[in-house]
Amino acid sequence: MACLHDHNCEDHDCSSSWSLYKHIDLSKVSALNEAVSGSVKSVFRAWEQRLDSSGEHLASNEGDPELLVYVPFTTDVKIKSISVVGGADGTSPSKMRVFINRDGIDFSDAQSMQPVQEWDLVENLHGVLEYQTRYSKFQSVASITLHFPESFGGDTTQIHYIGFKGEATQLKRDVVATIVYELTPNPSDHKTRAESGGGLSHVE
Amino acid sequence: MVLEATMICIDNSEWMRNGDYSPSRLQAQADAVNLICGAKTQSNPENTVGILTMAGKGVRVLATPTSDLGKILHCMHGLEIGGESNLAAGIQVAQLALKHRQNKNQQQRIIVFVGSPIKYDKKALETIGKKLKKNSVALDIVDFGEADDGKPEKLEALLAAVNNNDRSHIVHVPPGPNALSDVLISTPVFTGDGEGGSGFAAVAAAAAAAGGDFDFGVDPNLDPELALALRVSMEEERARQEAAAKRAAEEAARQEKGEAPQSSSQDAIVNASEKVADPMDEDDALLKQALAMSMDVAGSDSSHGDAEMSEANMEDQELALALQMSMQDSTNGSQSDIGRVLGDQSFMTSILSSLPGVDPNDPQVKDLLASLPDQSESQDKKNEEEPPKEDK
Repeated sequence: MACLHDHNCEDHDCSSSWSLYKHIDLSKVSALNEAVSGSVKSVFRAWEQRLDSSGEHLASNEGDPELLVYVPFTTDVKIKSISVVGGADGTSPSKMRVFINRDGIDFSDAQSMQPVQEWDLVENLHGVLEYQTRYSKFQSVASITLHFPESFGGDTTQIHYIGFKGEATQLKRDVVATIVYELTPNPSDHKTRAESGGGLSHVE
Repeated sequence: MVLEATMICIDNSEWMRNGDYSPSRLQAQADAVNLICGAKTQSNPENTVGILTMAGKGVRVLATPTSDLGKILHCMHGLEIGGESNLAAGIQVAQLALKHRQNKNQQQRIIVFVGSPIKYDKKALETIGKKLKKNSVALDIVDFGEADDGKPEKLEALLAAVNNNDRSHIVHVPPGPNALSDVLISTPVFTGDGEGGSGFAAVAAAAAAAGGDFDFGVDPNLDPELALALRVSMEEERARQEAAAKRAAEEAARQEKGEAPQSSSQDAIVNASEKVADPMDEDDALLKQALAMSMDVAGSDSSHGDAEMSEANMEDQELALALQMSMQDSTNGSQSDIGRVLGDQSFMTSILSSLPGVDPNDPQVKDLLASLPDQSESQDKKNEEEPPKEDK
């Protein structure tokens, strides 16, 4: 597929440099103010499919163009640039603010906190634009939160694709996650071989 | 088994003194809250629940989201009634409390009890609802208590603004004989977002609904001893009534005038024992006793006893039956009703065999049964004391 970059793409394969989507922990991706719960997962695809708008896309609730997208990675990554493909008719986001390695951010936090970096976006319907990051700040990213406060005048904000360019370091960030202990035994979590093979005891 | 942090907003305004939900609106809420906390923590042990009150001097958080049920139950004591409920502030404080929950993986939910009139208009409530929806907070509304104009519509508008994916619900509970918590048990407030219900809720609902299926409102599986005791006492009562009726018929046939007061007193006794089932007979019984007293020229002790008995019956039927027994012992020369019932060996055998721990083939029991029919009166009384003790 022809690449619209202004360089000669035969030297390298564009799609491989946008392959950070493979390192996204899709099950833990979440968004606030999305119209359809879970639709945020559909915007992380391969570079070649970035204009494939026939599938699902991420849309905010009617009358409220604000969106907050939380993206955790499976390994620490370094992000060089970000590409966002919005919707038509003014539903593209006009601003983007990102926060690194913080989870549980909601709208009031996002509005009051200083972002690591913010950009003014333009309508990027063909996905040719990328927004470069201050690379020194994006060296070991375990999770990134993108906040889109406004759109280009549309009632909602639509996002069809979000791409990250960079490299994966294959290192797992040392985070003491919330450790949850089992207070009461939950038999469904402890399926023994006996149960599947028809053991003597029967646990409901 | 959704992992959830819940904040429960309680209405402790002046409107909660009302007793249209027994025992009072506030107490009904407290019972419901206790049940909800139990259900949430049972469906997933890592769920947390917090409590706040919306009235009083202002919105006050009694407990931040915690999985410690004891702490929550402790907070429910000493709730004071007063002031006006501030719904908007309550929901906002609840949202703030949820935002600062320890485990960010938990879904956020607010359960709000709305029992007093709402002073906010629909628009303000819709804005609140939209803000909750934006932050992915689910809201359960329990509409009870005051039903002024516009309250259900306002709450429905709030629900529509919040509702995302049917995670939010509203329940309207009208005042009535059912307790608030019983009504709530079968609603999605307890059973969760339609996942099929937690075990707690399912069992509680089944118990509440199926109580009427069993003869005595008690599930023999849950409480076999109570069910057995109830069944035995019903059978005894029935047999006693039959024996009394039989005896009354016999005496009426045998003795005419002289025994008329006796038989009417027997009627009174039969009626008195039937009072357990039919309160309407009380008037008839009293009338008959009055007739008995006026007809009874001899002034035997039995009529006085009847009068005493009738008073006792109005107050305590069990006491009355005991009085009957003692009255019959003292006045009647022949075997009393109890003696007859107990003298019926086959009946006694069946009663004793249905009792746990008593084996009818036991030699001692057999001796006792054999001794029952051929006894003198004094032995009668002695044996009557023993079997009643056994039966009880």
